[in-house]
Amino acid sequence: MHPPTALIADDEPLLRERLAAHLARLWPELQVVAQARNGREAVELFEDLAPQVVFLDVHMPGLSGIDAARGMVARAQIVFVTAYEQYAVKAFEQGAIDYLVKPFDEPRLAETVQRLKQRLQQQPAAAAPDSTVQAVLDRLAGELRERGGTRRWLQWIKASVGTTVRLIPVEQVVFLRSDEKYTLVAWDGGEALIRKTIRELADELDPERFAQIHRAVIVNLARIAHVSRGVNETADVHLSGRNEVLPVSRSYLHLFRQM
Amino acid sequence: MPSNPPAAETAAPAFWPGFFAALTGRSVGWAIGLAVAVAAVIAPVFLPPWPILLGRTLFIAMVLLLAFTAAGQWRGAPLPRWVVQVLAVALAAPITTLAVYLLSTGGDWQALFGNEARVTGLLMVGGAALVLGLVLALGALYRERDGQANAQALQFALERETLQRQTADAQLAVLQSQVEPHFLFNTLANVQALVESGSPRAAPVLGSLIAYLRAAMPQLHQGAPTLGQEEALVRSYLELMQMRMPDRLGYTVDIEASLRSLRLPPMTLLTLVENAVRHGIDPSEAGGRIAVGARRDVATGGVLLWVADSGRGLDEARPSGTGLANLRERLAAAFGAGATLNLQALSPHGVRAEILLPADAR
Repeated sequence: MHPPTALIADDEPLLRERLAAHLARLWPELQVVAQARNGREAVELFEDLAPQVVFLDVHMPGLSGIDAARGMVARAQIVFVTAYEQYAVKAFEQGAIDYLVKPFDEPRLAETVQRLKQRLQQQPAAAAPDSTVQAVLDRLAGELRERGGTRRWLQWIKASVGTTVRLIPVEQVVFLRSDEKYTLVAWDGGEALIRKTIRELADELDPERFAQIHRAVIVNLARIAHVSRGVNETADVHLSGRNEVLPVSRSYLHLFRQM
Repeated sequence: MPSNPPAAETAAPAFWPGFFAALTGRSVGWAIGLAVAVAAVIAPVFLPPWPILLGRTLFIAMVLLLAFTAAGQWRGAPLPRWVVQVLAVALAAPITTLAVYLLSTGGDWQALFGNEARVTGLLMVGGAALVLGLVLALGALYRERDGQANAQALQFALERETLQRQTADAQLAVLQSQVEPHFLFNTLANVQALVESGSPRAAPVLGSLIAYLRAAMPQLHQGAPTLGQEEALVRSYLELMQMRMPDRLGYTVDIEASLRSLRLPPMTLLTLVENAVRHGIDPSEAGGRIAVGARRDVATGGVLLWVADSGRGLDEARPSGTGLANLRERLAAAFGAGATLNLQALSPHGVRAEILLPADAR
């Protein structure tokens, strides 16, 4: 019988080495056939070497450990390694996926080794293609991706100023106005031209914070001082701390009714 | 309106509980003591024997005290309570004295006012009762007011202390969010690996962790750290991160020596460096370099601080987060509108954050 094989994936080399050293002591027959530095490498090495056991760090650059595991669960025993990712630990407990919390001690690793040995004996070739495990991974992967916020509205505007590219946080933007083939960005630090069109910006900016008030103008709602009604179904937007007056065209006037 | 029943009757405070609460042993003691003193002072010049005199003064003192205390339950308009109390004492003093003397003559007005010695006694006792009663009443009212002022001062002190504690809690929350559990446990796992393998690097790395944690702690107490302290904090942090990702992180720190005494809001540089690691280096498979620097800007005379990384670069949809917005506010609070914080994209990838402080920054 061939000795069992394992792959270790972690972006932090000292932690890979430590895990390998402890495994060598607790489970001398186990061959650590490779070490991966990120999720993409882990997947590549897994496909090349087909190890029976994979230790996967959850938090890795590029492809996360969770995403890397999705193609492996049917063909190998997965052990996730994580530091204080409580939400993930909870999911692992429910999903019967083994996990280690960094920094772990040797008795805890010994328990995992014991479980792995049992499972490998029961199903020498493959793990159960458990659909609940897959479902847990899907959910976790979704959570990981969404942690920055659900809908990804534009948060930064890249604007060329001289030879540099300024990164302007959208909360500092006062208004945006179409200027022939460019768009003028007026923000707390000055003005700049960008290539994005008003139409693109209207799609990408959070409608809770920005409103298009004219075919050519988008305004930061937080910067509006007041709106004055003009004759003939028109209105003007006055800004706090600035002199510009922005026109509201008829088709956008409904935004300011009841205000 | 018929639907509105009169509320005044139900809201009227009960008389007796307040009355007995106000009738303290202390006030009774004062009344008895003064009655005894007055009796002792007037005994030599009065004809009636001393126990009878004492009985009279005690009786008058008790009536005045009861009048004062009963008037203290006054809750109505138009007179304030203290006026009613003083009036009660002023009226009760002559009336009670007259009543006592009438009792001693068996209700005989003739016998009382026909006798010159009795009239003198009546006036003396009545006058003493009036004067001493009023002095005592005013003293009691003054003490009461003083007590209220003290209670109010205590209340203010308590509120101030609560406010200070809330501020400290907020600062602690900032600190706790700064030393992230994820960072701490991952770093400790690395230190553990070094210790277990007997690496000679274990001690210096542990030293960096201690320096980082210590540099983070005292900022609870001292308001603005110096740029030199901030530099030490940033170096400790970068050393730790480099131990964790030696193949992915390189860094340089280049602070002009003359600027090390400059005072800054806490975590000014660290916030930018942590951002560079978290959003630039950590998500990138290839990693990158971080350059931290500070120098006096020749053109403006101000101070230029920068943190540049060659990491993954900025995702336009990445939430700008509270860290940078907070830092902007802290800079504005410390240096006014003259301080700016700007980010720019670097080519081929990466981000440079720049803080420009006004020329008068010290």
